Amino acid sequence: MATWTNLKTLGFRDPLKALEKRNPSFYNRYAGVEDEFGFDLDVFAKSEPLFRFYFEDYFKVDVKGLENIPNEGGAMLVGNHSGLLPMDGGMITMAMLHSHPSPRRVRFLVTDWFFTLPGIREWIVKTGQVRATRENATKLLRNGELVGVYPEGIRGVGKTFRERYRVIDFHPGFVQVAIAEQVPIIPVATVGGDEIFPNFVNIKGLAQTVRMPFFPVTFAFPWLPFPLMFVPLPVRWRMLIRKPVELNYPPEKATDRKLVLKIAREIQYDIQRDLNQLLRERKSPFTGWHDDDDEP
Amino acid sequence: MPSFAVCYRDYVRTALKADRHFGFDLRTVARIEPCISFLYKEWWKVEFDGLNMIPSTGPALIVGNRAGFVPWPAFMLMYALMANKSGPRRLSIVGDLDWVKDERLYNLLVQVGFVPWSSANLKHLFAKGEIVAAFPEGLSATCKPFADRYRMLEFDWTRLLPAVEEGIPIYPLATIGCEESVPTIANLDNLAKFLEMPAFPVTPFFPWFPFPFNLGSLPVRWRMKLLKNLTYPRASKNRDKIEDTAKNQSRFIEGDIQAELNRMLRARIKGN
Repeated sequence: MATWTNLKTLGFRDPLKALEKRNPSFYNRYAGVEDEFGFDLDVFAKSEPLFRFYFEDYFKVDVKGLENIPNEGGAMLVGNHSGLLPMDGGMITMAMLHSHPSPRRVRFLVTDWFFTLPGIREWIVKTGQVRATRENATKLLRNGELVGVYPEGIRGVGKTFRERYRVIDFHPGFVQVAIAEQVPIIPVATVGGDEIFPNFVNIKGLAQTVRMPFFPVTFAFPWLPFPLMFVPLPVRWRMLIRKPVELNYPPEKATDRKLVLKIAREIQYDIQRDLNQLLRERKSPFTGWHDDDDEP
Repeated sequence: MPSFAVCYRDYVRTALKADRHFGFDLRTVARIEPCISFLYKEWWKVEFDGLNMIPSTGPALIVGNRAGFVPWPAFMLMYALMANKSGPRRLSIVGDLDWVKDERLYNLLVQVGFVPWSSANLKHLFAKGEIVAAFPEGLSATCKPFADRYRMLEFDWTRLLPAVEEGIPIYPLATIGCEESVPTIANLDNLAKFLEMPAFPVTPFFPWFPFPFNLGSLPVRWRMKLLKNLTYPRASKNRDKIEDTAKNQSRFIEGDIQAELNRMLRARIKGN
């Protein structure tokens, strides 16, 4: 049964203190540290309870292989994008925050479109996301941070329901950065995200007029009044984090387009294979996997 | 027979010269030709891309995704290669035939060009310069549930080992339409075990109708696409290295086919 205690913490007066109490090592690592990209621990602490509720109670995310993310040093998390509101990133952040032996923030590279939205733009920056440019990614990796990339880009978010869990071809730029900065790539396959907002149709004409990358029609989206249209379906999630892929190439190889494309394809194919495997084992979206029953 | 010889003159010429070690029989092909050409042209309206990539002489291995209990994609590929006006080729299909106990069925399959899978048989075919098709998902893919359509099972990499050893070019083949034409509703495991079959599918046609009609299918449009062959280093004598290459190749080919299936499905949804 779902416990809803996580939602109660949304009303705490001092979210920062609550975060310190709940997760001291994360707090101590980032409290009072200046960040050039505008990370703000206060805003992070304020929105954390909602995502914690989604992570623990609503989606009941089951993360496998979290130990594959290194405790220190730069690394690149690469995954399949999903859901109209890209919640998969938030779920990885929650997993890193709550279940990892060395809690770290994950800096996701966010597409330009989100930075045209007032309000959202500030929130994105303050919770630790970064505008997706090669310079930003390089800088973050040099600082030894975890960088999250969804190489499918915004197209991956706007997949229709019939295309769910079918990976769109990866943009190979992330491999170039990884080779140039000599960091490992960690593939992450996420099942669940594509069903929280089943996107039946994309209305292209309307999307162009309102300057959105796509205009989805879901069971709730344009129909229900404001907060309700963003309520996702309670689908069980599972994430599979693979062992880091060490790219043993010298940094000069970053300009070898053939090699870069091949590595990007290999990682894409690995993620797709994991997705197929996870889907094959799943009982149904709302009940999850067979081995869930064994858990107390 | 005469009309077949006229229509497929070049094919007959090459097939008569081809290796008949495994029991290939041109007369059987001529007999089933009206049936498969009807399926190819009228019923499924197969669109085949990339046929010109197949070399007109010399060995090659085509690796595809598998669907349905009856190996229709193999038949369609066979027909496409046969009806190819510029340099038709005869196709041999390697697969597991051990479970086929019925002699008439076995003979039919062998005469059409099926070959029981074994490393030695594959090497024999390559040495004769034949084109071979393999479906390395194995028999477990014959009864994929409809919800898992166009999601590949893991390839059995040992199936590619003989080709990698000999340095034969491997062409990935992606087929869409095949899984919707004969949708699998259920798989009756116990009955399959009892009948000593690899699977017992329940389709809208299969156990319900009398014989020829239970092989029926829905008129779905098919699309088949041959992809560029992968280049891999010519294998050395080192056994471990050969196996590693085969493993990598099979993973990459599987991913290639899956990615192409995704692309084709997306194109179909968008309606082009």
